[in-house]
Formats: sequence, C-alpha cells, structure tokens
Amino acid sequence: MNQLDFTFSDTIAGYVVDHDRAADTFSLRTSDGRVFTVRLKDNTYAQMVRNLGEPYADATGPIREMLVPGRYLYTYGVYYPEQGAFTFEAQFVVFVGRKPDEYAFERQDWWIRQIEQLADFYVHAQFGDGTIDYRDYRTTISLTGEKPTDHFRQETDTISRLVYGLASAYLLTGVDRYLEAAEKGTDYLREHMRFYDADENIVYWYHGIDVHGRREDKVFASEFGDDLDAIPAYEQIYALAGPIQTYRISGDPRILKDAELTVDLFDRFYLDAEQGGYFSHLDPITLGARSESLGENSGKKNWNSVGDHAPAYLVNLWLATGEQRYADFLENTFDTITEHFPDYAQSPFVQEKFFEDWSHDTSHMWQQNRAVVGHNLKIAWNLMRMQSLKPKDAYVRFARTIAEHMPAAGGDAQRGGWYDVMERALEPGQERYRFAFHDRKAWWQQEQGILAYQILHGVLGDEAFLRHARESSAFYNAFFLDHDDGAIFFNVLANGVPYLLGTERLKGSHSMSMYHSGELCFLASVYTNLLITGAPLDLYFKPLPNGFVDRVLRVSPDILPPGSVELTAVWIDDEPYEDFDREALSVKLPDTQRRPRVKVRLTPTKVPARGTP
Amino acid sequence: MTVTDRVEQGVTIVAIEGELDGKSAPEAQQAIVPLVPADGKLLIDMHGVPYMSSAGLRMMLLLYRQAVAKGSVVALVGLSEEIEDTMSATGFLDFFTVVGSVASGIELLNA
Repeated sequence: MNQLDFTFSDTIAGYVVDHDRAADTFSLRTSDGRVFTVRLKDNTYAQMVRNLGEPYADATGPIREMLVPGRYLYTYGVYYPEQGAFTFEAQFVVFVGRKPDEYAFERQDWWIRQIEQLADFYVHAQFGDGTIDYRDYRTTISLTGEKPTDHFRQETDTISRLVYGLASAYLLTGVDRYLEAAEKGTDYLREHMRFYDADENIVYWYHGIDVHGRREDKVFASEFGDDLDAIPAYEQIYALAGPIQTYRISGDPRILKDAELTVDLFDRFYLDAEQGGYFSHLDPITLGARSESLGENSGKKNWNSVGDHAPAYLVNLWLATGEQRYADFLENTFDTITEHFPDYAQSPFVQEKFFEDWSHDTSHMWQQNRAVVGHNLKIAWNLMRMQSLKPKDAYVRFARTIAEHMPAAGGDAQRGGWYDVMERALEPGQERYRFAFHDRKAWWQQEQGILAYQILHGVLGDEAFLRHARESSAFYNAFFLDHDDGAIFFNVLANGVPYLLGTERLKGSHSMSMYHSGELCFLASVYTNLLITGAPLDLYFKPLPNGFVDRVLRVSPDILPPGSVELTAVWIDDEPYEDFDREALSVKLPDTQRRPRVKVRLTPTKVPARGTP
Repeated sequence: MTVTDRVEQGVTIVAIEGELDGKSAPEAQQAIVPLVPADGKLLIDMHGVPYMSSAGLRMMLLLYRQAVAKGSVVALVGLSEEIEDTMSATGFLDFFTVVGSVASGIELLNA
C-alpha cells in the first residue's frame, strides 16, 4: 500500500469542539464525528460566507474569538506529514454566520436575493439591457456570460430551463422584466419548437433549432450520443418545465393546452400500459418505444422517464390546476418508483436503469451499474412532497432509507457536499464505493441534497435531517457562487475549489441554464421560511384576464404538509384584497379585463421549536 | 408504397409512390436512406404521394437531417397542395427547398 509522505492541500468541514489559545489550534468535528486539530498561522485569514451581489466580508480580525464550540465552518489548508501523523495548518477559514448558531442562508431573503442576481445575470447575458428577443438566445454562454460567435444552437430544453428560472424569479420578486423574459421564452417555444401532430392530436417538441440570421433549421430528434435519432422522454419532460412554471403566474390557457397534449404524448406513447412506468425513448417516425432503430434505447425505462415528470412540471401543473388527473399521475409515479427502485440488498444506491419488465439493466452505455447521487436525493425530496399530497408509509420508509444511506455512500463527510456518479457495487477487496469518473461535485446534485434534507426535516422533524440540510446548503453557498463573474459554478473539486475546464467552465450549456439554481432558490426559500425558520414568504402572480378557470388563482408554493401554511394577506395592484381562502391557499380573482399584479403573503402556522436567526 | 431512384446530371432523384403514413413511412425511410449520396444532390419526387401523415412528416425531417449530415443538399418536387399546406402549418416547409418541376430541381441543385 502507498504511504502519504508528502504535503497536500485540502478542506475540512466541521463543528468547532474547542480552541486552545496557547497553542493557537482548534479542533473540528466532522459531520460523521471524526476530530481534526487545526493549527492557525499568523497569516491565516477568514471570511464570511456571502450571497451573490454582496461584497467580500472579511473575518480575519475576530477569527479567534469566533472559534466557539458548536460553530460550523470550513477550513482550507496544508497537511504536513510529520511525527507519524499529519499537522494541518489553515490557509483560510470560511464562517457560515456571524453568531455561533447562525446560518446566513437561513435569512428570510437570502435565496430571494440570490435568484434576483441569477436572473439579472442570465437576462443580461442572453438579451443585454434592451429588448428581450429570443432570436438572440443561445444555449451556450461562457463563464462570464459571453455568447459564442460560431455556435447558433437553441435547444428547446435549455430555453425551457431558463424560462423556469426566470418565472421562479418573478414568483419570488415580482420584477416585471423576469416575467416578460419568461413569457417571451414560452411564446418562442410554442412558435418555434412545438410540433402539433394533427393525426394523433398530441404535441411534441423539437430537440432544438439552429439559427442562421433569419433562417432556422429545425432539429427534430436528439443529436446527443446517448439519444441519437430518438425522442428521449426527458427532453419532452423538460420542454414543459418553464412553460408550466410560467403558467402558475399567468394562467395562460395556451400553455395549459400544450401541456395537456404533451401529457397525452406521454400517456399514449411513452407509457407502458402493461408493466407500468414510462419508456425512455421513442422512435421518431413510428413513435414506438420498442423499435429496433432505437438500438440500446429500445424498450428501456430509467429514472428520468419514470420519475422526472414530478419535479420538472407535474407537481407544478397539479399546484396550478388542482386537477385530479395530475394527482393520479403523481401517485402512480411515486408508487412505481417505490416498487421498483429500492435495491438495498445489493447497494446503498437505488437501481435506476431498467428493461421493459423491470429487470435491472446494468450494462447501458456509460451508466453501467452506476448511481447518480443526485437522483437518489431527488427521489427522497420528491417522495416527501408526495407524502403531503397522499401520505403512505412506503413513501416515508423509502425516503428515510435514502436519507440515511446517502451521507456515507454519496456524501463527503470530510469536506461537505455531494458527489456525482458512483459505482453501485464494491469489487472484491474494496472498502469504499468508487467514483465512476472523478470526485468532483456538480451544482445540481448539491441542490438535490439541500432540498431533500430541508423537506425531510420540515415534514418529519428529525434534527439530523436539519443538520444535513444546513451542511449541504453551507457547502453550496460557500463554494458554488461565482462572485467575480456572476451565477453558479458548474463543478467544484472535492475540496470546493471551482473546476473550470471544458464544458464545465460554461454558465450556459446543454446541462446548465438557470433551472436547478433557480429551482433551488425558489424551493429553499419556501422550505427554509415556511418549514424551518417560521418566517412569512411573499409571492407574486400576474394572471391573464382569460386565464385561470373560474378565476381561481392557486398560490401554494409547493406541496406542503396540509395546514402548515396559511394565506394571511393578499394585495392586488398594491391594494389590500379580501376575497381569498386562507386555508385552501387560493385567491378569487376580480372580474376584470386588466391584468392585475397579485401579491400574496404565506405564513407558517407552527412556530418551530428551535431558535433560528 | 414504392421507392425508385435514378441519377440525372449528377442529381440523385428519389421518387416515392403511394401514401406515407405510420405504416409505410418507416419502410420508405429504410429504402431511401441508402440512396442518399455523400456530398451530393438529392431531389425527392413526391408527385406520386397523395397523402402524408405526421409519421411521413417526421420521416422527411429525419431524411433531411441525414442528407445534410452526409454533406448533401436536398430539394422537394411534386408536393400536393394538401401536403404543402400541412408542411407549411407545422413549420416543416421552411427548411426544405421546394421546386415546381424535376427539371427546375436539377437546375437549382446544380446551380
């Protein structure tokens, strides 16, 4: 075996145990209970975690006074191998709050300010400061927000994902320019990316278009290696994400119609009516899921095709409409996941690739017998949402199992944060699950960890879940925010240092487009305020005169435990308004041909037992 | 549904005869794809196609993409009014070059 007899730099995340002023050291207990001694140097510096848009906040002066027991912090430094062990000397320290028990990102407006910064970055990068015109949109944008001069692709999904982020930003801030950008993006998708199939009376969405001046080339089937010449379910799913989040605000019946016809596509062509679940790919000509032309994707099911409906659009579609069809779809989705995904006799990770008969597919393309950590966390998060719509013991058991396995299997107890893709099984002689490709940490998987443990705590109350939620959120806010160029880094190294190479350097790409970062801000605002700290939350809507059925605006921000939140005040065009249902979380809109701006205040009914800032 | 091909003045002319629907479109695609030239010119003659369902539309779109991927240029000739309307309404027509006759198609592709 190798001996580590060299110096190296790394991060430690943990809780201060004690501070030895004489030795100028302190000890730090990691999330899993191991204790490290940290030596301060005379040039160790410290900073406070800060939000996007906030100036650097130095904490070097009071660093020693702040080392009080129980405080959570990060320290980055150098390990020196000497005297049979390692001395760790701190280069810098990151504090997550001014007070010992404070977590800055639990401030009422933390995530609201963050989404405002994100929306400003993306609107400026894509459209400048003038007219918002989606002919100018490009899927690819650089680290600094620049557009390429030699790449003109507009992917349906990345527009939809951007629209999702912008609509979420409007919901939290009421800034009209965000809604304008969301609505124009939704219109653009409808006019340029939508295919209405008159023969089948369904809608499906192009993969994207290439813009050449005034000419555009439509790209029908996917051009990505995993999905080549097929219509992958996840592209159709994510095509709805942005429009449906916009529908929650506007009630635009054209969006609802497109959504209904796309759900028809899922139910008539992707659904496996005999064995349950949804297929992952369709043949673009026959719309069959079992065509030989699909190659390795023929007759397959996976997490995305079975489960991603829920977070991408289905929960939001149900929230906005209250339609039983979507509640049933959600229940069926989570019943299917609960029945087929657990595989704990074999692995701490769920099984997420399947053949048609639900037997396990462990040899598919690059996925092999591998686990995506974020998918495990996403399942736990969404099971807890579903639990508040239709409670089942099986949902809670499964979510708890995931939550209990993930910190050791897919989390980094030493430095904080969540890993990416892992091998699901140990090979002979191995004691630790292997990283499939690298030990970097992607932004979207951090989101899943934060939301999963926030809602697990919010619904079930376990303090351990709150601790994991805080640790997850701390890592994201300490290391993923790009304070120099704006928005969020795609990937960081295990130690939290940004990884800025290749496509992972980009702020806009096939993978990244303000969807996960915006979703995190929106739902972390909801869960933090309404389920954890007990603070009120204001949301903004702008319904069209011919929008919501019966002029009923549903304002529940997520599927929350029944009775946990009340609608305590409503303003229409800044005037107090009384026609609302406090418990049903709905507003009876005035009968008007104008388009009112509706502001609502949601207030948690229970004051949390613990004190939080 | 039958597919025939010939070459005139360096242009590969593929003529389709019969309805293009959910059943025949995959067969048409299988027959036509091997005929698509590399770095060449392709004229699809649709005079003999009285009806095209959305499956036919999707087939045309894939065919177009595969031709472009091979470096070829594509034109369509002989679209019935109904098919042209359908292609126009779905936005498919925008990226096909449509010509009025085989002769004008050959002339355009050789220009």
